[in-house]
Amino acid sequence: MDIKNEVLYRVYGLLFGIFVPISIVLLYKTIYISAWEGQRWRDEGASAYIKPHKVEAERGNIMADDGSLLATSIPYYNLYFDAVAASDYDFNENLDTLAQCLATHVLTDKTVGGIRQDLMNWRDSTKRYVKLKMRASYAEKEFIQSFPLFRKGQFRSGLIVQRNSERKRPFGIAARRTIGYVRDGAVPVGLEGYFNETLGGTTGTQMMLALDKANDIWIPLDDLTKVEPKSGDDIVTTLDINLQDIVENELYKAVNYHDAEWGTAVLMEVKTGKVRALANLGRIEYNEETKWYEDYNYAVGRGIEPGSTFKLATIMALLEDGYIDLNDSIDIERGQTTFYEEKMEDSSPFSFKIDSTSIKRAFEISSNVGMAKLVTQYYAEKNAANDNIGAAKFIKRLKEFNLHIPTGVEIGGEANPYIKEAYSEEDQWSGTTLPWMSIGYELKLSPLQLLTFFNAVANDGVMVKPHLVTEVQRYGETVDLFRPTILNKRIASTGTIEKAQELLEAVVTNGTAYKLKSKRFNFAGKTGTAQVNYRRSSRGTRVGGYQASFAGYFPAEDPVYSCIVVINKPKQNGIYGSEVAGPVFKRIAEKCYTSKLEMHRPINDRPLKILASNELPIKSIGEKTDMKYILDYLDVEYFGNPGTDLTVLDLEGDSLMMNQRSIPADRMPSVVGLGLRDALFVLENKGLKVEVDGYGKVARQSLRAGTVIQGQTVKLTMQ
Amino acid sequence: MSTIAARIYAELQGDKAIWAVLALLTVFSVLAVYSSTGTLAYRVKGGDTEAYLFKHGMILVGGLLLAYLSHLLHYKKYANAAPYLLALSIPLLMYTIGFGPEINEAKRWIQIPFVGITFQSSAFASIALVIYVARAISSKQDYIKDFQSAFIPIIVPILIVCGLIAPADLSTAAVLFFTCIFMMFIGRVALQYIFLLLFLGIALFSMLIALGEFFPETIRVKTWISRVIEFTSDPDGVYQVRQAKIAIANGEFFGLGPGNSIQRNFLPSPYSDFIYAIICEEYGVIGGIVVIGLYLLLMFRVTRLVTKSPKAFGAMLAIGLAVSMVLQAFFNIAVSVNLIPVTGLTLPMISMGGTSILFTCISFGMILSVSKYIESVANE
Repeated sequence: MDIKNEVLYRVYGLLFGIFVPISIVLLYKTIYISAWEGQRWRDEGASAYIKPHKVEAERGNIMADDGSLLATSIPYYNLYFDAVAASDYDFNENLDTLAQCLATHVLTDKTVGGIRQDLMNWRDSTKRYVKLKMRASYAEKEFIQSFPLFRKGQFRSGLIVQRNSERKRPFGIAARRTIGYVRDGAVPVGLEGYFNETLGGTTGTQMMLALDKANDIWIPLDDLTKVEPKSGDDIVTTLDINLQDIVENELYKAVNYHDAEWGTAVLMEVKTGKVRALANLGRIEYNEETKWYEDYNYAVGRGIEPGSTFKLATIMALLEDGYIDLNDSIDIERGQTTFYEEKMEDSSPFSFKIDSTSIKRAFEISSNVGMAKLVTQYYAEKNAANDNIGAAKFIKRLKEFNLHIPTGVEIGGEANPYIKEAYSEEDQWSGTTLPWMSIGYELKLSPLQLLTFFNAVANDGVMVKPHLVTEVQRYGETVDLFRPTILNKRIASTGTIEKAQELLEAVVTNGTAYKLKSKRFNFAGKTGTAQVNYRRSSRGTRVGGYQASFAGYFPAEDPVYSCIVVINKPKQNGIYGSEVAGPVFKRIAEKCYTSKLEMHRPINDRPLKILASNELPIKSIGEKTDMKYILDYLDVEYFGNPGTDLTVLDLEGDSLMMNQRSIPADRMPSVVGLGLRDALFVLENKGLKVEVDGYGKVARQSLRAGTVIQGQTVKLTMQ
Repeated sequence: MSTIAARIYAELQGDKAIWAVLALLTVFSVLAVYSSTGTLAYRVKGGDTEAYLFKHGMILVGGLLLAYLSHLLHYKKYANAAPYLLALSIPLLMYTIGFGPEINEAKRWIQIPFVGITFQSSAFASIALVIYVARAISSKQDYIKDFQSAFIPIIVPILIVCGLIAPADLSTAAVLFFTCIFMMFIGRVALQYIFLLLFLGIALFSMLIALGEFFPETIRVKTWISRVIEFTSDPDGVYQVRQAKIAIANGEFFGLGPGNSIQRNFLPSPYSDFIYAIICEEYGVIGGIVVIGLYLLLMFRVTRLVTKSPKAFGAMLAIGLAVSMVLQAFFNIAVSVNLIPVTGLTLPMISMGGTSILFTCISFGMILSVSKYIESVANE
């Protein structure tokens, strides 16, 4: 055999005897695993154990108007240990130090040796989900992740971190129902519900691995398919923590003192409709103890028969239609009359001695008979087809006051107002409907809707929408701004509004609420004592309870806040609006008044007169109209009225003289004492180049005044 | 485009099929490494997979450049350098055993002072030994079957180098040892001597095991034993191998598609030891066939070189380098399909890893240099 052939035999032998067969075996094994054994491996495989899971986005905060947190999501972490994940080397290398760290900082009730033994036992018994620490804070989590072994990450150490978050309300039950909640299986409530999408952000997805399918234990996998959730935006509410605290406290004292069923109080900014405080307290019997709790948003969600507070709408309708004047007299029949054999009585003791009095007085003492007689007199004619006469006209007026439309406040579940259609059979309209409507029955409004109406009266007829949210923010930047919304530019004529305001003030000065008068400031409002669960008959009305209310605004002359207080079924210490709800209103108003500086009329609300000031410019040169405006505003006397636009103010003796300012065309003027804007205007118009140094007024100029100008550069030093 | 391609084509001398193998392996490398570094990137770089892709890409570009440069050089230059390279590699290996930093629980690396780059000294030694053996075999062809003057001078360096690599990296040593045996087989060394060498190798290995009792830190006898026990005790394979099998099974015939690997989350070092499984998962059995086919194609092309110039040093060098590369690839794949115990060998030209890719590229360059000259001679 020659050499060449021997080599060839050998090399082909190697190729076909070793390499080709190995290739075939490897391919065969690959196909065998993929096809023959395939199903088995795929079943064992992770694809059955890996599924995309939703990752909840971090929910946005709800903030009070000053940025304090009303509701926020606090993350917490549950830490588990997969004792199998680490390699033998890593595990053994770090066992002692890890046990030491765990004993010192996490599992403090155990000894180092005990934990060391535990770790080994867990590993031997292939425990993959041992609880290490529940509800760890972010800082604790970070710290634990820095432990030996754990710092190698989830896959190499087996430390499993599950992130959760919970909603916290740092101010406890304050405005709880208004802030609300979103829970699985429950109707979303309050702002949380209304702004759920804004607050909620966008859910992300992440692949999760089932460690234990039977117990539904999943751990997150970090890989490329992770879609990060987008955090929710924050909302800034109109709620003022201090005012909320005041309102809630006062309401609580009242419901407790009167042992009421529920109470609500809303404080709103007159000009803007910002709800500054909103408190609800409902009675809860718990362990034979009575407590009051924010269990329902009565102010927004509960339609109530308002009772006497509604008389404001009645009398405004009468005034608007021109049927009456406040000084017209009315026979209130000593507070008792009947309509269609149903007896109507005044509840106020003032009425018993009075036959005839002025309409204003009848309103002050909240005479039911008076109001009912007026409406039945003027809206008597029955003609459903024509809404310019009769009850239909009255209903039309109420609708002009927006009393039939929900306010649209940003809280789910606002009650719809209920105002009967005139003569409607469906609404069971009867002969007694109109008189009883006039005193606030046979119709329903939520406390907030009624307040919105009172607020419109306080706001000179402009009805603004009550609102709770001013801004949506993302990382502290404004994303969306909600400005005050006007629901109705003018609910009634100026005359009617003025009279309505006069009446509301009179209620406090002379009427049902005279006891509430405050020495420090005036407020205006209307009391209400409504019957609840009543049954009317010819012998009078059988009553199941009362609902005391007070709606009004303060200060009376220049209203800043409007407020309504409704207390349902007071059982002790009085029932009347003036004794149950009125005092709450008064105390809220007084505390607001003391705590809110801006409500006090400043001692000096004009700028101080300028007597002497070294801040006065050495020389004032400027445009004539500007100059005059400033001098007028500052209330500085001056003389002279030059014919040119550019003027100079000179001190002549002890008075100021406004003189004509003229600059020779080709000479450098003096600009010392001028502001930069004026100096630049003058100099650049003359073709000079100007260099500026410093800031303030011109202190020096590099060209002497009077120099001939030939396009030089002039340097101004400002001070 | 076509002009650029044409210019590159013109620039590349030597066997175009081997160039194609190199190019395709590079493409696989980019795809598979990008897919499988996801978890590594998350663990180490906070999700920056591009960082790994970039680094790997730079290494590949550097490697291809090296391949190009080394293919320009006449292969006889390598022959001249062989004794010096071998002489250099022995102290390097000794230094590695003594002072090399421990990475992934084994001392296989040396750190180049000041630069901070680490590289596996065994890769360098392997190439040096293959060149040396090729030269020795070809220069002693006339008396190759002689024991004293041919066999002994060839096997002494083989035993020394393999013996120095084995303590920390048994599988590399084994690949190198078998490569040398195959080279000697092709180089017409008498079969009885080859069996003798095999026996010597086993004796050396036994000696290492015995020494391991005294130097457990240096000689990883424990690891070897535990891997063999793991392999034999569970027919389904250890955890990693089971995950690799799941990956292969997930891929079915056509694969899950690029970037869709699931098992990369579960396979330890999916970008090196088990990259074959990831390729099978994303590109299916088809992907596996292509990879194995590429290595086999390389063997065929190199065998063709030997048939053209059987006695030459060049042919012996080319076959030695190719055998070492393909053997390593087959070892790696065999681990993924659970035919042999876990070794830690990478898939040449595909797995992530600087030293491995750069030296593999140099190997390719030398093979191409050989093919270039053999073909020019054949053409004349």
